[in-house]
Formats: sequence, C-alpha cells, structure tokens
Amino acid sequence: MADWSYIPQVLVSGLGIGCVYGLIGIGFCVIYNASGIVNFAQGAFVMLGGMITQVLFSRSGVPLPVAALIAIAAVAVLGVAIERVVVRPLWNRKATMFVMILATLAAQIVIERLTLIAVGDQPKTLPVFTDRPPLMIGSVAIGYQLIWIVGGSLAIVGLLAAFFSLTKTGKAMRACSINREAAALQGIPVSRMLALAFALSAALGAIAGILITPTQYTAFNVGVPFAISGFIAAIVGGFGRPFGAFLGGLLLGLLQALAIVGFGAGLKNVAALSVLLLFLFIRPSGILGAAK
Amino acid sequence: MTISPAITSPERRPPRLVGLLPWLFAVAVVGYAMVVGGYAATVVSFALIYAVFVTGLNLFMGFAAQVSFGQNAFAAIGGYGSAVLTATYGWSPLPAMVLGIAAALLAAAIVGFPALRLKGHYLAMGTLAIGLITYEITVEWQSVTQGYLGISGIPPFGIGPYEVTSDRGQLIMLALVVAACAFAAARIRRSRFGRALSAVAGSEEAATALGIDVSRYKLMAFLLSAGFAALAGSLFVHVVGYVSPEVFGLHMVIVTFTMLYVGGIGTVAGPLVGALIVSLLPETFRAFKDYQDLAYGAALILLLIYAPRGLASLFSPRGRS
Repeated sequence: MADWSYIPQVLVSGLGIGCVYGLIGIGFCVIYNASGIVNFAQGAFVMLGGMITQVLFSRSGVPLPVAALIAIAAVAVLGVAIERVVVRPLWNRKATMFVMILATLAAQIVIERLTLIAVGDQPKTLPVFTDRPPLMIGSVAIGYQLIWIVGGSLAIVGLLAAFFSLTKTGKAMRACSINREAAALQGIPVSRMLALAFALSAALGAIAGILITPTQYTAFNVGVPFAISGFIAAIVGGFGRPFGAFLGGLLLGLLQALAIVGFGAGLKNVAALSVLLLFLFIRPSGILGAAK
Repeated sequence: MTISPAITSPERRPPRLVGLLPWLFAVAVVGYAMVVGGYAATVVSFALIYAVFVTGLNLFMGFAAQVSFGQNAFAAIGGYGSAVLTATYGWSPLPAMVLGIAAALLAAAIVGFPALRLKGHYLAMGTLAIGLITYEITVEWQSVTQGYLGISGIPPFGIGPYEVTSDRGQLIMLALVVAACAFAAARIRRSRFGRALSAVAGSEEAATALGIDVSRYKLMAFLLSAGFAALAGSLFVHVVGYVSPEVFGLHMVIVTFTMLYVGGIGTVAGPLVGALIVSLLPETFRAFKDYQDLAYGAALILLLIYAPRGLASLFSPRGRS
C-alpha cells in the first residue's frame, strides 16, 4: 500500500515536471498552428538542449548560463535546419500528413543516433542552478531547481503571450494559424513564418530540456518520452492552443506523479500513454476544445 | 485527402516481364542464401520474417491508406505469446502460435474499435501510444516477460515430431510462409474486399456514398494487418530462440516503414523486395553497427522526399506522380 503522506510532496514535484511537459506541448502547438504539421522531432530539441549545455559546461568549462544560451541558440538553428532540409521539400510536394510525421520521426532517430555517436550512451546531468538546501513549507520540501523550473516556465509563457499579442511578427504567426491563404494575401511571408515557428519551437524544447536536466539526467534517448508527454499535454489541453497545452502539461505532470505513488515508477509512461488514449477515445478535442 | 498509391486501379498492371522482376529478384536472393547457407541464410531468414510483417502493414497503409505506428504491439503479443507458452509452459509451437495470434487479434479488435474513429495525427499518435504501451509492458511485467533479460530457450518451430532446426530448413519454411502471404495479399487486392479498401483509400466520403461500410472495412484491414504482425512476431521468436523487449521496440517501426517505402507502398511485391533490400544493405557494411539506425532514418527521409512511391518508381517513368 502506498504511503499517502507523501502526496503533497509528490504533487509539488509533479508540478515541476508538468511545467516542462507544458513547454514542450507549446512547442508542438506553435509549429502546428503555423503549418498544420505535427513535428515528431520535438523530443530531439529537448534532449539536445540539455545535452549541448552539459557538454559545453563539463567538457569545455563554459559557465552554465552562457552554455545554456549557446545551447538554446544552437537548437533553434537546428530547428530551422530541419525545416529547410526535411519539412520544406515535403511541404513543397504537398506530402500527406502521415508522410510528414514519418519524416520528422525519422529526423528524430537520426539526431538521436548522431548524439549517441558523438557523446556515447552514458546518462549525464547538470548541477542545480542554485545550490542551496530546499525551502520547507510545512513538511513539503521545495528545491530551488523546482522554483527555477516553475518560474522559468511561467516567465516564458508570459513572454510568449506578449509576443503573440503585441509584436507584429507574433500577430502574423497567429494570422497564419487562422488562415494561411488569407495571411499570404495580406502580405505575410507564410513560409518564413514556418521557419520561425520551427526556431521558436526548438528553442522552447531546448529550454525545457535545460530546466529539467539537473533534476533528472539526459541521454541520447530521452527525447521520445519527453516528446510524447509534450504531445499528450497538447492533446489534453486541446490541440493547437498553446496555453491549453501548458495547462495540459501541468495536469499530466500531477497525474503522472500520483501514478508513480500508486503503481510504481516503472509504469509512469504507461499511465501517461493511457491518459492519451483515454482522451483520444473519449474527448479528442481536449479539455478546452481544439483550436479551429 | 490526397491521392494514395492504392487508388490506381489494380486492373492496370505493368507489362508481364517487368512485373515479374521483383519476384525474380526475391527468388534469386533466397536461392543464393539457400546455396550458401550459414550466415547468409540467417540474414535472409530475418528479411523474410520482416516481409511478413511489412505485408500486413501494407494491407492497412498501402491498400486502405490508413496510418498505424503501432503494429509492433501485435508482433510483440504474437512473439511473447509463443515465447511464454513454449519456453515457460512447455506447449508445442503450433498451438502457441495460434493462441498468440488470437490474442493479438483480440487486442487489435479492442483497441482498433475506438482508435480507428480517429483521423490524421490523432490516429498516428494513438497507434504510436499502443505500440509504446506494449513495449513498456514487456519491460515491466517481469514475472511473465523477464523484462530486459528476455526469454531464452524457445524451441524451434515444428509440427508434431517434425522440428525445423537447420538454417536451410528454416529458410524454406519462411519462404513458403512469405509466398503464402504475398499470394494472400495479391488475392485480397483483387477481391471485393480489396476494391472496397482502395475506395476507402481514395475518399472515405465517396466510399460511403457507394454503400461501403467504411469503419467495418477499416477495422477488418487493421485486424488482418495485426494478424500478419503477430505471425511475424511468433516466427521471429521460434527462428531466433530468444526474445527481449528491444526486438519489438521503436526500432522495428522505423525499419519496417523504411522497408515499406523502399519496396513501394501499395504494391504486392513491394514489402518483400523492400524487406530484402533493407536487410541486406547493412550487411555489406556491417562494421558500422552504430550507424545502422542512423542510415535507416536518413534513407527514409531521402526516400520520402525523392521517391515516395519506392525505389522502383525511380526507374519507371510511369510510377512518378
């Protein structure tokens, strides 16, 4: 029988991982809204964010904040590269949705394997950003990394909201998601918006990867589980709604944390995938209703 | 809905001789392996097992133009069914295989019923989730599957006192199974059922208007496909004598899709040709073991972009779209 006195502590850590799922889910939505493409290489961005930071930090001795910024920029460039090399040629040929999914999944595998060859298969981790004993609230310990994760995620969600509603580029991206043809007729460079969406989405994934790595570990093959959790978050929140995806991520994180207490850590992925199937079968439009 | 490869009428076939080429290639490869035996026979045996799986995948994806990233789940159920019943409970292979396939069909019916109502990326993700859940279960359900350790000591396939133990014997058995599967696929394609599937592939709305019960036909294609997958899984464990979760993991999904696209999706000979080519190529530069999945992934991307109808379409102007 599980020990229920741990519940508040478990929920707090679930909230942390939920924020990360939410960021990844937003990444899915940003690309989907700009293009109608579901990018299954999203997990590679998460993995590379943590991995590049780790390699720069521990092997080359670059200070952590600088390493993180370089990693985010590098992954954003990689996002654009994937858009140019894999997605754009298929897009121009009007490939079916399924071909696009398969191609991005193959891109994920290629990146994963290249990483394996470059850094080996040993799990790696980063130090926590602020090395101090956790805050105690009652019997619940709140680590500083958790504060970083939640604070960082909320800050990014706020920045994104501002970007989409205040800047011209953000408004143009929203116009693309409403109707691409109409947006093109208004003089919005739709194809450049697609590249931008990939860059933005890749950077979001990288940030998620960097934030979570100190509490877990990173290895060449952590990408797919993160991508799937992010996708589930996006589905639960209503696909195509970035802020719904964040909410979905939080819910998923909490549910998964409870599942770990109830059934053991081994089944946490099964629990998450079951949530996905449940939503797909019963309410595929998510709790908020899918966009469009 | 874009036009799928299966919509081209099955009646309009290429000239006889060209149509025979893929089969001649397959016979040549299997014949060569039969003569040489040993390692070549093992490699070609694996290719033939994959061919059974991909033939099933092609029924669902090529003929009916549906999407499933989770057929490896049914291969796992068939494979583990055979492995557990024979190695742990001492059943003989044939009833174990039949029960394994029946279990896979039951699972396919249970998940297929709600899953096939989904469309687009929802269907893709739903089926991917089914494959991943099955993988996690094979890892975690250690009392039955022994987790990552896997199950060893699975007897070779046989009926009654006759066991297929030699390399060449296995090769002959697998070649017969593949021939039967390809024959079945060819018959299905030209049958009323197959024509209904191409109608569904072309446009579900139009198919409905023609009086085709779309959801029933999709479910039937899904079940057939799952049956082929389970058969392949069961054959695999008997040929290798060992099974672990990795066998039926995401690697299998990528490899089998590469095979399907190399050979040509929606064709009858495509799965077999694709399985042979994709299995043989890595053997020619086997030194780079780490690079295998990398090569599969990169090859798949290039194929999807430059030859979406398979390698064969590169050589025949007619296949281009």
